[in-house]
Amino acid sequence: MLGKKKRFMGSRWLCSLLVAVLAAGLVLGGCAKKEEAPAGKAAEPIKVGIILPLTGTQAMFGEMEKNSFLMAYEELKAAGKTTISGREIQLLFEDDQSKQDVAKAAAEKLVNRDRVVLLSGGYSSACTNVIAGSAQSMGIPFLIVTGSADEITRQGWQWVFRGTAAPASKYTGALWEMMDKVIKPQRLALIYENTDFGTSSAKGFRQDVEKRGLNLVFDQAYEAGALDFKPMLANMKKTNPDVIFAVSYVMDAALIVKQMKELDFNVNLFVGGAAGYTMPEFKQNAGDAAEYVASTTLWIPNVAWPGAREYFDKYVAKFGKEPDYHGAQAYATMYIIADVLNRAKDFTPESVRQALKATDLMTIMGPIKFEDWEGYTNQSRPTTYVVQWLKGRLEVVWPTEAKSADYVFPVPKWRERK
Amino acid sequence: MTLFGQAVISGFLLGGMYALIAIGMTLIMGVMKIINLAHGALVMVSMYVVYVCYQLWGFDPYLGLFPAMAALFLLGCFIQRYMINRLVHIESILPENQVLLTVGIMLVLTEIVRLIFKSDYRSVTTGYSGDTFFLGDISVNVPMAIGFVIAMAFTYLLHLFLTRTDIGRSIRATAQDRDAALYMGVNAPRITVITFGLGSALAAAGGALLLPIFYLWPDIGHLFTAKAFIITILGGMGSTMGAIFGGLTLGVAESLGATYISMGYKDVVGLIIFLLVLLFLPGGFRSLTKR
Repeated sequence: MLGKKKRFMGSRWLCSLLVAVLAAGLVLGGCAKKEEAPAGKAAEPIKVGIILPLTGTQAMFGEMEKNSFLMAYEELKAAGKTTISGREIQLLFEDDQSKQDVAKAAAEKLVNRDRVVLLSGGYSSACTNVIAGSAQSMGIPFLIVTGSADEITRQGWQWVFRGTAAPASKYTGALWEMMDKVIKPQRLALIYENTDFGTSSAKGFRQDVEKRGLNLVFDQAYEAGALDFKPMLANMKKTNPDVIFAVSYVMDAALIVKQMKELDFNVNLFVGGAAGYTMPEFKQNAGDAAEYVASTTLWIPNVAWPGAREYFDKYVAKFGKEPDYHGAQAYATMYIIADVLNRAKDFTPESVRQALKATDLMTIMGPIKFEDWEGYTNQSRPTTYVVQWLKGRLEVVWPTEAKSADYVFPVPKWRERK
Repeated sequence: MTLFGQAVISGFLLGGMYALIAIGMTLIMGVMKIINLAHGALVMVSMYVVYVCYQLWGFDPYLGLFPAMAALFLLGCFIQRYMINRLVHIESILPENQVLLTVGIMLVLTEIVRLIFKSDYRSVTTGYSGDTFFLGDISVNVPMAIGFVIAMAFTYLLHLFLTRTDIGRSIRATAQDRDAALYMGVNAPRITVITFGLGSALAAAGGALLLPIFYLWPDIGHLFTAKAFIITILGGMGSTMGAIFGGLTLGVAESLGATYISMGYKDVVGLIIFLLVLLFLPGGFRSLTKR
C-alpha cells in the first residue's frame, strides 16, 4: 500500500516537473526568438535546409549524399557562387533517421526555427513524401534529391520540385525499349520491397506489362531487410518465369541473387529496378552471383553529361569510395540550388519558387527543367539506361548509342558458369 | 511438398540462431528482472569483432566466434559492474531507470561503431558462404546448417552449466529469489555481473553465426533486440527452454508466413503469434510445462 502511494506521488511529482520544464522552455524560447529578430540584417546567411538519413538503416546513402553536397558546395565556393550580394549560402543538415515522424519534425524545425528559404534532401520516398507535405502546407519550396515514388509530384503541389530523381515508374523507360526489341519476355515475374518506392515502381511496371498484354506470372512484395528470401524465391521458381524484375535496396539485392544461385533458379534475364542493383556494394556482397544481373539506372559515371566522370573520380579520390547515382543526384542538386538562389530576386519563399520554376540547367544528371507533364507537377524529364554486370564491371548496354559493352542475353545458367 | 519442406527447414535453421540470441536476453532478464534493450547492440558489436578478426588476420568467422565471445563477456561484465549495478540501489523517481540506461548504452555503442566503421554495409564472404546441399529437392545453405548446429551445442552447454555447476546453480537461485539467495550466502552482485557477461557472450555467438549469411551495419542491433524480445515473451521470461521453443516457433512461423501468405507480411505473422501468446498464454510456453 505504502509503495503504491509513493509511486503515485512520484508520478505526480514527475508531472509537475515536466510542466515546469515545458513552461520554462516556452518562456526561454520566446525570449530567444525576440533577441534574434532585429540582429539579422547585414550578413545574415541564406539558409538552405537539407534533410537526409544520416543515421539508421539508410545512413550509408545519406552520408554519400551529404559528402556530395559538401563537395559541390566547395567547388561552388571556389567559383564565388555561394555568396550572393554579400550573403553566404549556408547548408543546414538535419537527420531524418529514415523515419517519417522524424523527417516531419526536421522539416518543421528548419522552417520555423532556422527560417530556411529552401528545403532539399529527401532520400526514402516515405520521408520525402512527408517533407513534401509539410513544405507545401508551410509554403516553403522543397527540391527533392532522391525520393521518387510517383505520387509525390502528382498531387499538384506547386511548392515541391523534383529535378534529379525520376518518378519511380519512369525508371524503366530504356528497359521497356530493350524488352520490346530484344528480350521479348513470355513469362514475367515481379518482386519488390514493400516501401513507397518499391510499390510505386511495381505499379508502373504492372501498367507497362498490361499495356503490352504480357503474361505476369508472379507478383509479390517483401519486407525490406529480410534475412531469408528463399520462401519467396521457391514460390517464384514454381511459376517458371523467364525474366524477373526486382526492386530492392542494395543488401536485399545481394541476398536475393545469392539465394537464387543457392536454389539453382535460372532465368533468361534478371533485371533490377535501379536502387540496389547498380551499387559497388552489391557486387562486393553478391560476389559472382552478381554477374549478368542487369538493372535500370538514372546515372553512371561514364554517361555523356559534362562533369559526370570528374565528379566520380574526385569523389573516389576524396572519400576512397565509389559513389553511385544517389551521390550524383545530391551533387547536381547543390548546383541547382546555387543556380536558383543566384537568380532569385530576393530570398522570400515565393521568389525562390519562381526562380526554381524558371530553371534550365545542365548538370551531371542531364538537363534539369521543372515541367508539368502526364499529371506530374514541377518534374524534370528523366533519361534512363539499362546496365549489366559483365566481368565484374557495370556496363551500359542500352540504349545502343550510349553502350559501353554488348548485352548478354539470355544469360548462362548457374551450373554452366565456371 | 518441396515448398513446405523448404519453408520449414529454412525457418527452423534461422530460428535456432534467433534462439541463441534470445537466450542471452532471457538469462539477463531472469536474474536482473529488466529487459536489456542494448542486447541487439551487443550482437552488433560482436559481429564487428568477428568482422575485424576476419579482415585483419583472416580468421574464419567460426573461429572469430571465440574472440568475439570473450570480448563481449568482458564488455557485458563491465556494463553490469560499473553501470547497471550502480543504479540498482539508488532510489529514484523512475523505477525503470535501469531499462533507460540500457537504451543509452545501446545508443552509445551504435554511435561509437558508426564513428569507427561509418554506416557502410559490410559482409564477410567465405568460400563456403553460398554452398548448399540438397535434401531431396530442398536446398539447405551450409553456413546456416553449421550455425544451427553450433547454436544448439551452445544451448546444451549452457543447460549443463546452469544445472551442474556451482555458479550455474547460484545464477538460478538469484533468478528465483535474489534476497533469499543473498541470505543463503550467494554473492548476488557478482552473480549478476557473471550473468550479464554470459548473456552478452551468447548474444555474441548468435551474431557471429549470422555474419556469414547476413550482412552488417551499425543499426543492425534493433532487428535483433526486437526478435529477441518477442522470443523472450513467447518462451516465458527467464526460461532457457522457452527461448529455444520461442526461437524455433518464430523462425518457422515467419518462414511459413512468407511462403503461404506473402513475404511482405512476414513480420506480421510473428507479431500475431506474439499477441495471441500474450492474450491466451500470458506466461509464455513455459507456463505449459509447469501445469
